[in-house]
Amino acid sequence: MPSWLTSGEFIVFAILAIVTLVSAYRMVASRLITHAALFMALSFTAVAGIFLLMQAEFVAAIQILVYAGAITTMVIFAIMLSGLKDIRAEASRNVRTWTRSNPFVFVVGAIFAVFMTYVYVVSKLPAAAESQGITTVDTIGASLFTTYAIPFEAASILLLIAMVGAIILTAKEVDQQ
Amino acid sequence: MSLPIYLPLGLGAFLFGIGMWGALTRTNAVRILMFIEIMLNGVNLNLITFSRYYWQQDPETAARAPIITLFIMTVAAAEASVGLAIILNVVRNRDVIDVDKVNLLKG
Repeated sequence: MPSWLTSGEFIVFAILAIVTLVSAYRMVASRLITHAALFMALSFTAVAGIFLLMQAEFVAAIQILVYAGAITTMVIFAIMLSGLKDIRAEASRNVRTWTRSNPFVFVVGAIFAVFMTYVYVVSKLPAAAESQGITTVDTIGASLFTTYAIPFEAASILLLIAMVGAIILTAKEVDQQ
Repeated sequence: MSLPIYLPLGLGAFLFGIGMWGALTRTNAVRILMFIEIMLNGVNLNLITFSRYYWQQDPETAARAPIITLFIMTVAAAEASVGLAIILNVVRNRDVIDVDKVNLLKG
């Protein structure tokens, strides 16, 4: 039995991975789309825990803020704001094909995971180097505002354009007269 | 690091596979958008894993992966907001959420 099987790292990873995958499956399987959005938030939170395990505190915090906080809230708001009945629960359709069955989504995910893991194992990834402590927000901020200043500004312009675009798209048209 | 690198990489691929097949087979527009977010999350997980195992020990490269992930999340947030605005507009104008029924452009 390999030594990593009993390490605390593996146990925490296994629990978080199971939560991630089960909530991703429930996201597929739940008929109400509000439930699917909440399970998406749970899945994102578990992935944030794995980011913490990978010593990426900054990414874990951003993951909770942006994904579990902002995007989930936005999706739920969009669902609640539209009066359409269809948007809340998927109508049971008479066309049931095997490609649309719920467990099949899991099967495809598992096949893809096994294939990618096989590719990684065959490519013989080098052993991990010993870590020299944690990357702090200090380091990230320093290089974000020096080396990566121009991409950072481009990202802020992208967010501004997306915000203006979303407002223009959803605003009700007002008569000019 | 005692955990083998293949486990987090496999989890990222699993999330990507679930998101991909879900986005390709579902027809509810909001659900498709959610699956695209799941796919982006799997990609982020792979990136952070590689960074943890191979980039962390060098201070020169340690900050790269969090910054790339930050940009991926920025693009994901922008995409989600504009996508939801488009979906709300489609719902308002045509009263459908099923992407199979949004077929005005069909030749």
